[in-house]
Amino acid sequence: MSAHTADQIVHHDAPSDMKAKIWRTFWILLVLTLVDIAFYFIFPPSTYRNWLFIVLGIVKAYFIVSIFMHMKFEKKFLAWMIVLPMSFVVYLITLMIIEGGYTDDSRNKNDGNTPAKKTEQHDNHSGH
Amino acid sequence: MANTATLTNSKTQWGGGNSPFNVSYGKLMMWIFLLSDAFTFSSLLVAYGFIRYSFNGDVANPWPSPDMVFNHFPFTHAHLPLMFVSLMTFILIFSSVTMVLAVEAGHRNSRKEVVKYMIMTILGGAAFLGCQAWEWTHFIAGTEQGKTLLDGTVIKGANLFQNEYGPVAFADLFFIVTGFHGFHVFSGVVLNIIITIQAASGEFDKRGHYEMVEKVGLYWHFVDLVWVFVFTFYYLI
Repeated sequence: MSAHTADQIVHHDAPSDMKAKIWRTFWILLVLTLVDIAFYFIFPPSTYRNWLFIVLGIVKAYFIVSIFMHMKFEKKFLAWMIVLPMSFVVYLITLMIIEGGYTDDSRNKNDGNTPAKKTEQHDNHSGH
Repeated sequence: MANTATLTNSKTQWGGGNSPFNVSYGKLMMWIFLLSDAFTFSSLLVAYGFIRYSFNGDVANPWPSPDMVFNHFPFTHAHLPLMFVSLMTFILIFSSVTMVLAVEAGHRNSRKEVVKYMIMTILGGAAFLGCQAWEWTHFIAGTEQGKTLLDGTVIKGANLFQNEYGPVAFADLFFIVTGFHGFHVFSGVVLNIIITIQAASGEFDKRGHYEMVEKVGLYWHFVDLVWVFVFTFYYLI
């Protein structure tokens, strides 16, 4: 009977159409990446475009974690145990965006009048 | 039978009789390790965002646009931004698919299929590492004309101390973020090779289950997951 319990832990809840689910997820990820590339060439760089990329990245992450990493078929509490701590990262990003703005201001004196300070690699932007 | 009923009773699940969340010890610990690893990668990417943001108003030494730096493709001199890194992304996604197919085959205890898909995953990982080596080589070697500094010296390519494309911090972050990810891929390939050898030698048939394939699979998908964000933050934004 105890062997039966061990087996249950190992093979629980794998859906019978797993193969179909895997390939569907592959196509979703492929299309989302192609959409990324299309956006990159169609739209000029902007904050909105950056947010589009971030949202698409999170959608891709959802599919990888839920299907490939099997999280969708695990117990709900396991999923929350992993996902909830990641909310601290959102907090860190918010703080760092604010700090980055201040650092930009103090490094580059963004008042529109003072010329930007000279750095070691100042001139001749001829790389490409 | 009465014994089993007490074992599976939800009240006793945290008493050590059963595994929490109905996953095995190894899988649970792998998840917790991946969570801590996700924090490490998050801090690296947040540091990248912070430093890049702090260069916003720097007219003299602007942050380079990735398509001005990473625009090469093997066997051609055409200007092809984003194409090579997209190819790398597809390779990694596809190796993730073969990995999850190996896990699925493991559920059916099909040794042949597990080994077949694991070998495909290893090849995908190796291809990705090769691409990354090519990308690093180009970045380090730099362009033919290089960049002339104020005092007349010409610098070519990028390393930890100089960078012809823009701020030195750009090169530093590139090496750290993609290097740390690349080392994860390398470790994943090594783990995959070990697991493939064990699977082929019938070790998991002896154990009666292929759970090791699942654990290594979790790690491999995580590496793919991180690449999604490296791709987004480093090459797209």
